[in-house]
Amino acid sequence: MSFIGDIPTLAVLRTKMQWHQERQRLLAENVANSDAPNFKPRDLVAPHFDAHGEAVGSTGTLALARTSSSQIEPSGSGDSFDRNRKVGFETRPSGNAVSLEGEMTKLASNQMDYEAVTQLYTKSLQLLNIAIGKG
Amino acid sequence: MSGDINDFLRSMTIATSGLRAQAGRMRVISENIANADSTASTPGGDPYRRKVPTFSSALDRSIDAHVVALGPVVTDNSPFRIKYDPNNPAADAAGDVKYPNVNPLVEMTDMREAQRSYEANLNIITATRQMIQRTLDILKG
Repeated sequence: MSFIGDIPTLAVLRTKMQWHQERQRLLAENVANSDAPNFKPRDLVAPHFDAHGEAVGSTGTLALARTSSSQIEPSGSGDSFDRNRKVGFETRPSGNAVSLEGEMTKLASNQMDYEAVTQLYTKSLQLLNIAIGKG
Repeated sequence: MSGDINDFLRSMTIATSGLRAQAGRMRVISENIANADSTASTPGGDPYRRKVPTFSSALDRSIDAHVVALGPVVTDNSPFRIKYDPNNPAADAAGDVKYPNVNPLVEMTDMREAQRSYEANLNIITATRQMIQRTLDILKG
């Protein structure tokens, strides 16, 4: 038995929606902790694809991450979280590195992308409706 | 198991913890501002001492995320302001009155920061609500 969500377009859009939900959670975490000492903001790594359309990096599965330097390096792992190393915002004297402006920008783009995906999802469902003669 | 909870609801829970922490911070700041001139009731006694809110980030295992909480409220041990006012009932033998170590300018700056952080958390909730709304719109087709 096949499920309507197994249709490739819908499955891809669903994965994208899950990615945005998870990112929203991390952004909420960053903003809520924007005054907590020694808090380092996190973000999800955006999916990258090579010229053949293959996913590059560790975006497929959430890999194991080391939480302490005394732990053994997990094999075949990559970090799924982007710890904002490349972002040029400063760390405040309290050890907190959250930039509210940066988080707000990311929040807006996350919301816009999510909206685009839900629109595409609706359109795909409309296409199916047309196919079954209800369009 | 954290997997049962919708990610969006988790985002809202995290943002709510931020709202609660910033509201608590506002409470401490308003306490400081209100008591900026509270002197001691006995001659030569210590006046109101400025309070400093602290924040701590803790892992909430039920939603598997770092929420923020208002940590212990500590007192600021910086020296008191001293004014010469022999007629004040709180004046010591030399006529000096100790005033609280509250600097209204610093409190105002802290208040603006609390306000800004509160708004940021509200933004997260608004954005998350809109995203949930978009998801529900799929049903409407």
